[in-house]
Amino acid sequence: MAQFNLYQEEYHPSPIMHIWLEFKRSHFALVGFAVLLLFCVITILAPLLAPYDPNVQNTNAILLPPAWEGNGTIAHLFGTNALGQDVFSRTLHACRITFGSSVILVFIALVVGVALGTLAGMNRGVKSSILNHLLDSLMAVPTLLIAIIIVAILGTGLANSMLAIILALIPQFVHQTRNFVREEMKKDYILLDRLDGASSFRIFWKSILPGMFELLAVQSTLALSVAIIDISALGFLNLGAQSPVVELGASLSQSLEVAYSAPWLIALPGFCIFLMVLSINIVGEGLRSALRNRLIH
Amino acid sequence: MINLLLRYINLMVITIAVLVVISFALPYFFPGDTLTNLSGIVPESDAQRAALEAAYKLDGSVFAQFWHYLNTLVNGNWGVSFTSQTSLLKEVSIAFPATIELITYALLISVIFGIPLGFLGGLWHHKPFDFGVVTFSVVSYSFPVFWLALIFITIFSLQLGFLPLSGRVNLLYDVPHQTGFILLDILRADMPNKADAFYDAIQHIILPTLSIAFVTTAIFVRFTRRSIMDVMEKGYIDAAKSRGFTTKQIFFKHGLRNALLPILPLMAMQISTLITNAMVVETIFSWPGIGNWLIQAIYQRDYPAIRIGMLVVSMFVVSLTITIEFLSRAIDPARDKFERGAV
Repeated sequence: MAQFNLYQEEYHPSPIMHIWLEFKRSHFALVGFAVLLLFCVITILAPLLAPYDPNVQNTNAILLPPAWEGNGTIAHLFGTNALGQDVFSRTLHACRITFGSSVILVFIALVVGVALGTLAGMNRGVKSSILNHLLDSLMAVPTLLIAIIIVAILGTGLANSMLAIILALIPQFVHQTRNFVREEMKKDYILLDRLDGASSFRIFWKSILPGMFELLAVQSTLALSVAIIDISALGFLNLGAQSPVVELGASLSQSLEVAYSAPWLIALPGFCIFLMVLSINIVGEGLRSALRNRLIH
Repeated sequence: MINLLLRYINLMVITIAVLVVISFALPYFFPGDTLTNLSGIVPESDAQRAALEAAYKLDGSVFAQFWHYLNTLVNGNWGVSFTSQTSLLKEVSIAFPATIELITYALLISVIFGIPLGFLGGLWHHKPFDFGVVTFSVVSYSFPVFWLALIFITIFSLQLGFLPLSGRVNLLYDVPHQTGFILLDILRADMPNKADAFYDAIQHIILPTLSIAFVTTAIFVRFTRRSIMDVMEKGYIDAAKSRGFTTKQIFFKHGLRNALLPILPLMAMQISTLITNAMVVETIFSWPGIGNWLIQAIYQRDYPAIRIGMLVVSMFVVSLTITIEFLSRAIDPARDKFERGAV
């Protein structure tokens, strides 16, 4: 017997479920998401997946071509480099360093940027105005320039290049947060909170932050793709990660010396960076259109 | 309007003041002798050291030093480079135009290709052509610029041998330095083989320009496509349709202008990306621009050069950004004070 139903849908998905339902309608976004997950797995499990230690030099096998070429062996899937190190293991470790450090630095920039942006958005007057305008214009200073100065003062290294990129990314988060907080502070539900006697921190934590989640997710994907490109560019210019640390940009510049005899050593790290950034951009694009469509429906 | 202009001038002055203060502080933070970091000269005797300290007011208070620093900046007496011991002003004035030339051509290419592509994609959105445009923009936006440059070199210089690998112009041609823009210099120079030199310079400039323009075009396509899609959904477009205008009329009279308005401030935000890409590409192609110069300076720990290079580049970027922001506010007064575009 048919039951009476007041609602057309029996199942009410949560907001995040809504995003996911919209997101998975795009096959490209799903593929990008799968690739991104693969990189996450590599980042976490690289030491277990890699067949060799990335820095061990096997002098019996120098500049072996990849396994699919005529004289390659399956023991070294992507061949070996000029020092006889296994390229497959090195690529896995390099992906781990590049992707992992980018995720960490985006997270730090996010936390600092949201904190500063909230301060700027909730306060009014000279203090907020100075913070806003100065940050806005300092946002224009190129990342590479900040990195050069930090390297000049502190020296090269992965941590220093991460610091430079964090400094370059913070203003974007401050900007987005500030605009969002400013808009929300004008709305009635915040006024209601205020009438209830909520402190500024509580308003931010309980009322504004949950609504900001989506904005931050989209902004983080943008920042993550920028961070990966920047960190590998600094590695490529020898201003970032130094030798025992394996990094994609750095291993790309190391293989420039043997570019004629071993072109796959250039192709591989570059392609990994490209794939990483591409998957992040596709996921970001999918997320953005999912959010837009969810609001329309 | 005057109010707006004053506010932006104020902003520019404050920002440049902050940059100058930062660059003033840098020699004290750099490792090594502050005096050497300031002057670029390693004093050989106590007498020379005392003379240099007196010249740079190191014996005076911080304010006296800062005042002296401001004076040297304005006078163009920027000190000498560690490595080459030549005047920094001269080196910068040779290197900087080369970068500006490169960026200008890259921007031109991006505007010429990116904006029409974005418009077409946005007008025909969710059609096969738009699909191609979006794919192109996402893919080329994801290219790391140094890898793209290396791929271009491998294909066009090493495999096919069409285009030269590095430099601005073949050393055979002795182009006198006038404007710093190589193509202009060649046109203005009094040389016997002008046409050959010009052709050669064009060949040199193609690959670096394309490498930079690839990513920038992708950004322009995204902005333009989004912008025209938003505009075409507005009420006044429906109103124009209901009055019976053709699609062409609607696009050129109502769509185009309103879609171009929000793109300008978005471009201002991309200048720093553009400069970063140009600096990386310059090192790969040995283009004698400011990026290459700065990166060589950091390799050799040439602190006076780093300080001046940082100041010049950041001042250029910041003043350009603020000028574009001001222009876009002046053209479009309806724009909200705090509103800035999202991608």
